[in-house]
Amino acid sequence: MPAAFLLIHAKPSRAWSVLLSWTLFAAGIGAYFYVSHARHRDNPEDRVMPTIAQMARGMYNAALQPAEEDEATAPPDNFVQRFFGSMLWKDTRASARRFFYSMALLVPAVLLGLHMGLFPYAGSFFLRFILFFDKIVALSLLPILFIAFGIDELAKVMLIVIGVAPTIILDTFNLVRGVPAEQTVKAFTLGAGDFDVAYRVVLKQVMPRILNSIRLNLKSVMLFLFAGEMIASTDGLAFRIALLRRHMGMDVIIPYVLWVALLLFLVDLGMRRLNRMLHPWFRES
Amino acid sequence: MPLIEIRDVSVAYGTPTRPVLDRVSLAIEEGEFVCLLGQTGCGKSTLLRLVLGAERPAAGRILVDGRVHHQPDRTRGYVPQKYSLFPDKTVLDNITFGPEVCEFGLAARLTPRFFRRRREFRRQAFEYLQRIGLEPSDAAKYPDQLSGGMQQRVAIAQALITRPRILLMDEAFSALDPGTRKGMQRLIRQLWKDTGATILFVTHNTHEALRLGTRVVVLAKEMPDSGSRVMLDLPVPEPCRDDDIPRLVRRLESASTSSDPLAPASALSEKW
Repeated sequence: MPAAFLLIHAKPSRAWSVLLSWTLFAAGIGAYFYVSHARHRDNPEDRVMPTIAQMARGMYNAALQPAEEDEATAPPDNFVQRFFGSMLWKDTRASARRFFYSMALLVPAVLLGLHMGLFPYAGSFFLRFILFFDKIVALSLLPILFIAFGIDELAKVMLIVIGVAPTIILDTFNLVRGVPAEQTVKAFTLGAGDFDVAYRVVLKQVMPRILNSIRLNLKSVMLFLFAGEMIASTDGLAFRIALLRRHMGMDVIIPYVLWVALLLFLVDLGMRRLNRMLHPWFRES
Repeated sequence: MPLIEIRDVSVAYGTPTRPVLDRVSLAIEEGEFVCLLGQTGCGKSTLLRLVLGAERPAAGRILVDGRVHHQPDRTRGYVPQKYSLFPDKTVLDNITFGPEVCEFGLAARLTPRFFRRRREFRRQAFEYLQRIGLEPSDAAKYPDQLSGGMQQRVAIAQALITRPRILLMDEAFSALDPGTRKGMQRLIRQLWKDTGATILFVTHNTHEALRLGTRVVVLAKEMPDSGSRVMLDLPVPEPCRDDDIPRLVRRLESASTSSDPLAPASALSEKW
């Protein structure tokens, strides 16, 4: 064993690094099934910690059978159709739709931040208000939103936008302010107009950082999405989790939680790949 | 009528106000290569930004070609010390940026005429690339793949391609190592002779000022807390002989350090 073991100058080999990075996953999964197995030995009816077989069955049913509320419809015959008629697909689609609507509504937020950062009048007009608005706890607005917009899609999408947009606006504003003055001056001396400077010089060079900022805010987007769905919804991943809680349907809840984590991980990975593809010049520092 | 006319310009910053420039007057004729020399913090970059139109004087007027300009535009090209290139564009796109925005607005960029015209811009850009001593293979690189000297070369090409009558350079070579700096000085002298542009070059390096300019203007403070004034306006003999240089350096440095007799004159004369 080298002297620097566990110290700053330690240099674990590649194999050790990989092994160590998976250790906690293995330990967590192992501990779960050990405890689950023990509980099922004491009480075969245990519902708190379902076994792998139970979860697999739960997930199989979720992915291939329609939701309880849709059971009246005729069962389709082939596998693909069964999946697209299933509870899991229905919930994922409903949540994804709300998620993408909110992401689309972040585009104007980015543009507002850009204009606030560049045009002094826009900055004076919006900045103070948005700084204040940012401090309102979005969840506390939820009852107001349900009263104002009804309990359908609009209220839920608005909750997400109200919760996340101020952060994105202010972040964009700061990034735009951080662009060196030399860049805008140079662009003007080359004959650029105000909008060339805004869209072709400044927006283009802060875009990778804005995308990173949106990536960091994905968690908040999901948080507000789930809050909206758990409180007032008839479909969606969070609605299902909240509904199954009433029958202690842990065999479906646990796979659902992991499924949501997986989806979010994939969205994040996709955005990271996209960022690298669109901005090959960008070095994270 | 001089091309650039600076009349009794004063600037002060901050609260309580600290004067930076105090009634500076200067007239620059078309075709001159003027080096603005002074110690750090003497306001030489401020004066350059005033000529650019990026800042406004508290008092006095600045006329470029007989007009007051309120914002930077394409009559005055600009090469700063840092951040001179757009990091998100390749070398080629950096150089063609000027011609493109001059002729095409955001919407006009979608028309087929733009793509035909762009071919012409690119051909021109390659010519400039060759003039500043870069390889055609560098055209596809991004600025941070180039060395500091290469970046400044591209920045000069980028500024010159729109054919500005005036080129303003703010410590453009100060971040370069001595060997590269010498090459750049030769390049800018050559380009100045070829294009006939008027150049205003800010530097804190006395040797550089003498090597480049046809005229050296020294800015310095008379008293430690007063604004800077023009202390010396020296035409440089053409060509400047090597044995003249030490004498001129001494003269310039005594002018620019007059406010602070304790400062060693050699602090200013870092060698290239």
